[in-house]
Amino acid sequence: MTPTDADGFASADEPLDDLDLALLDDVRDLYQAVDPMPADLPERIRFSLALRGLEVEVARLTAEEDLPVLATRAVEQSRTVTFDSDSLTIMIRIDLNTDGTARVDGWLAPSQRREIEMRTTAGTLSVVSDEQGRFAFTSVPRGIVQLVVQPAEQGPGGPGQSVMTPELVI
Amino acid sequence: MTVVDDRRPTGPAGQPDRGARIAGLVRAVRDGSEDALGQIVTEFSPMLWHVARAAGLSPDDAQDVVQTVWMSLLSHLDDIHTPAALAGWLVTTTRREAWRVRGAGRKQVPADQDWLAELPDRGPGSEELAIIGDGRRALWSAIGQLTPRCQELLRIIAFVPRPDYRAVAAELGMPVGSIGPTRGRCLAKLRALLADDPEGSPR
Repeated sequence: MTPTDADGFASADEPLDDLDLALLDDVRDLYQAVDPMPADLPERIRFSLALRGLEVEVARLTAEEDLPVLATRAVEQSRTVTFDSDSLTIMIRIDLNTDGTARVDGWLAPSQRREIEMRTTAGTLSVVSDEQGRFAFTSVPRGIVQLVVQPAEQGPGGPGQSVMTPELVI
Repeated sequence: MTVVDDRRPTGPAGQPDRGARIAGLVRAVRDGSEDALGQIVTEFSPMLWHVARAAGLSPDDAQDVVQTVWMSLLSHLDDIHTPAALAGWLVTTTRREAWRVRGAGRKQVPADQDWLAELPDRGPGSEELAIIGDGRRALWSAIGQLTPRCQELLRIIAFVPRPDYRAVAAELGMPVGSIGPTRGRCLAKLRALLADDPEGSPR
C-alpha cells in the first residue's frame, strides 16, 4: 500500500504519503489531548494586542518573584515582575490592598518622566512617573492587566516608541 | 483505512482558497483590522503553543513566548510576503524565542496560577497514558522512543497546516524534495517502530 525499501520499511527520502499524513494527524491529536493549549490563551493574546501602535516596542518578562511580606495581620505575598525592552526596564511590585484591589508600584530604568497606562478589564488607568522613574497605581482591579509606557515626547531620533508589556494576571 | 485529507501539502484542492484567505487576513491586519488579527491569532496560536512546549518550555513560559511572538509579528508584517511565509515566520520566531527564554534560565516562582497544570516538559510519560485511548498507546510509546530532536520536529510538523509544510520544513532544516517535503528520518523511524510493535500496525 505504501512505498517501502528493501527491508520493508518506509525510507526517509520519499515524499510524504497518505499514511504519513494520517500518522501526523494522530500525533497532533495525541498532543492536543495530553498537553492542550490553555483555552483562554487566544483571548488573552487578543486583549494584549488590542491596543497596538504601529511602532511598539515589546517588553519581555525577564524575572518574576514572590516575596513573603510580613503584613500587620498575616504573611502575605508581594510579587515583583521585571520587563525588559530595548530601551526600558520596567519593574513592578504588586501588593494586595485590604479592599481586594491591588497596589502596583513601579520603576522605570533609565529613570525618566513618562505617561504610563495600566489597561485592565474594567478600563484604563493612567499615571505619570516622576523624574526618578517611579510610579504607582494605588487601586487596580484584579484580573488581566497590561502596562503601556507612552512614547517620550522627544527622543534622540524624534518621538520615541511606546513600550508594551505582555498581559499579566494580578 | 480512510484518510480524510483536507490539508494536502501540494494538492490543488483547497490551497488557493486558503492561501488567498490568509493573504487577505495579513493584508487586513496590516491595515489595522482587529478582527483579522483575532482570526489569525485563533488559527495559529495552538501551533505556537505546541512549538514552544516542544522546545521544552514550562507552560508559563510557553504562554509568555506565544504572546511575545504575536507582539513581534505586528512589527514584522512587512516581512510576510506569502501566506506560507506566515507559518514559517511564526514557527521560526517561536523556536528562537523559546531558546532565548531557556537560555536565560530565568528565575520564576509560580504565582497563584493553579489553572496551569504542570506537565513533564519532555516526552510522554505514564501520566499521559491514562488519558489516551488504548488505540493510540502504541503510537504514544513509539513517539517516546524517538530522540528528543525527532519528538520536537514531529510535534511541530503535526501542527503545521499542510499547505505550509514546504515553507516550514525548509525553515526547520528538513529536506524538501522536488515535489515537496520528504518523510525524513523521524517519520521513517516512527513508522519502523510501529511496524515492529506487535500490537501496532499504525491505526
